[in-house]
Amino acid sequence: MSRLIDVENLTLQFDTDEGRITAVEDVSFSLEAGEVMGLVGESGSGKSVTAKSLMKLNAGNAIYGPDSRITLHLEDGPVDVMSLKTDTEMKVVRGGAISLIFQEPMASFAPAISIGEQMVEQLMIHTDFSKAQARELSIEMLDRVGISDASTRFGQYAFELSGGMRQRAMIAMALSTKPKLLIADEPTTALDVTIQAQVIDLMKDLVSEFGMGIIFITHDLGVIAQTADKVAVMYLGRLVEQGTVRDVIRRPAHPYTRGLLAALPTLEDIDAPLTPIPGDIPSPLERPSGCVYHTRCQEVIGARCANEIPKFSQVDTDHAAACHLHDEQGETA
Amino acid sequence: MPGLPAMMTNFEARKGHSFHGAHEGMVQFLRFAAIRAVLAFFTLCLVSFIVFSLMELVPGDCAERYLAFKNSQGAQISIADIEAERVRLGLDRPFFERWVKWIFNAFQGEFGDSCILRLNINQLLGQKVWLSIGICLGSLLLAYAIAIPVGIIAATSRNPFLNNGLRIISYLGLALPNFLLALMIMLFSTMVFGNSLTGLFSPEFRDAAWDWPRIKDFLSHVWLPVFILGWSATAFAIQTVRALMSDEIGKLYVTAAAARGVSGRRLLMRYPARHALSPIINSLGFDLNRIFNELPIVALILTLTEAGSLLIEALARSNDQQLAGAIIFFLTGSIVAINFITDITLAIVDPRIRRSILG
Repeated sequence: MSRLIDVENLTLQFDTDEGRITAVEDVSFSLEAGEVMGLVGESGSGKSVTAKSLMKLNAGNAIYGPDSRITLHLEDGPVDVMSLKTDTEMKVVRGGAISLIFQEPMASFAPAISIGEQMVEQLMIHTDFSKAQARELSIEMLDRVGISDASTRFGQYAFELSGGMRQRAMIAMALSTKPKLLIADEPTTALDVTIQAQVIDLMKDLVSEFGMGIIFITHDLGVIAQTADKVAVMYLGRLVEQGTVRDVIRRPAHPYTRGLLAALPTLEDIDAPLTPIPGDIPSPLERPSGCVYHTRCQEVIGARCANEIPKFSQVDTDHAAACHLHDEQGETA
Repeated sequence: MPGLPAMMTNFEARKGHSFHGAHEGMVQFLRFAAIRAVLAFFTLCLVSFIVFSLMELVPGDCAERYLAFKNSQGAQISIADIEAERVRLGLDRPFFERWVKWIFNAFQGEFGDSCILRLNINQLLGQKVWLSIGICLGSLLLAYAIAIPVGIIAATSRNPFLNNGLRIISYLGLALPNFLLALMIMLFSTMVFGNSLTGLFSPEFRDAAWDWPRIKDFLSHVWLPVFILGWSATAFAIQTVRALMSDEIGKLYVTAAAARGVSGRRLLMRYPARHALSPIINSLGFDLNRIFNELPIVALILTLTEAGSLLIEALARSNDQQLAGAIIFFLTGSIVAINFITDITLAIVDPRIRRSILG
């Protein structure tokens, strides 16, 4: 495997009427080609904003931190995403080497433009195909994601397709330019459970076939357990734990991850009460000092949690957590 | 569009066997256009019925009115004369029969004689109806020619000066009544230029045949009513376009298109602007209606010799039912026509509506 993308010290703030809001703070991770990474957290944790940063797609009032670096490793050499300025320069991360699938397939297709037209448009922007070639490839892609009668569907509009069909079409469109990285922002949340499974299977097949990396954003650890190779857990704009899926789910090291796992319903013991994490996610306007999670954490170990930002420390070979619990273990060991 | 969710479920049920082939689509489209045309025709008939009934409700009829007019000229009129005149005008026939006859003639462009002036109404109206419709369409055109680019710029720009400036102009446009604006301009022009800018033609061209100098003279007059009527219509339309555009720009499909690499003007025009178009087309009929309503007062102030002022004259002063009926028929006819046109245009522009027709 070769390195696909490096995100280093990504910090992102928004200038709003209420002041400057920190949405993402000091986030670093990397992804290999062919690897699936789950990005997990509650709504408002900054997952989607992080993902959109990779395409510089955040709103005009976004301010990236000066140390933020995103490097995309392509065959023609590395691309420094932060330095991309013009629309032409940004094509490579917008639908070229990176594609994005949104949570709501209905809303992400333009309602008055046919699915085919939108697919062809994207291919015309990113490839030197003729219109006829683009059309042919689009129909082939629709067929490939399991849409029957693809040439008819090509001329149809999003409102004429069922929910699962739309998300398949969205995947077909996203993959048509053969991106190296696919970002899927809660791609199955709006779908029925049975369709969810189909779409997840489809995505897994396509990753191995196309050999690309996927960043899978979700709040559903169950979906992550099935899909991802590794997982990064996010809380209030910060990463709190990273590691292989197996490690993180079997031996969660951060109290927040433990809380998320405890809040999942299990089928083994349907009478067991769910234990939600107490409290609400704080307003981004009042970010807690120190460890951002300390206001809700049940394992606070003293003033350090409120004063000092915990650094990532290894808990296993491929498993790290940003928590003072593990600092001390590291110190005492 | 309240029917939309219902329509969508309809599509869900029907998907899989949507129409095939452009030819079949064309036939269905023409059928839709024909149905709409028939509906428009019935609307017009219905409106004419209401107009005709209202004309009936006005106390007195054409016969009395004309003879009363003669009476005032010194002639001696008896009840028998009035009855004879009624029979001559066919006013002794039942109401429904007269309406059918009236509407039948109206569709052939025949409106009979004016009650008071005893002139053929077509002769009396001459080109005035077309002048009125032209002035209103001109104002509508002016409004949207300004509102569409300005509205799009206002929706995309973050410049506070531009936005606030536009807002102030819009409020002025919305708050300032047309007749007041007309009076102010007249007053100003009289004081400064000694010319009140009234009328549609200079005296020497009033009854001349259409030729180039007359057209030039007409244009040098007509801009003022078009500007005055277009003024508030523009302010209104800018607000509409801006709100619709901001709405569309915030939608996910725009971000999604940007994420696919669509950028710049192409992104703006093909995505939010393209999708704001349907509701804008929808509002055209409504706007034209409003302009028509405002025309008579502006026309009266500017002493325009067009149908709007004649309508006021016929309705308010001389009680000339025949004349008023004919003018109202023309005005509603043009509103029905523009609604027909916007319906057809919407079906061409918006696939959701098109598919609801083509099935």
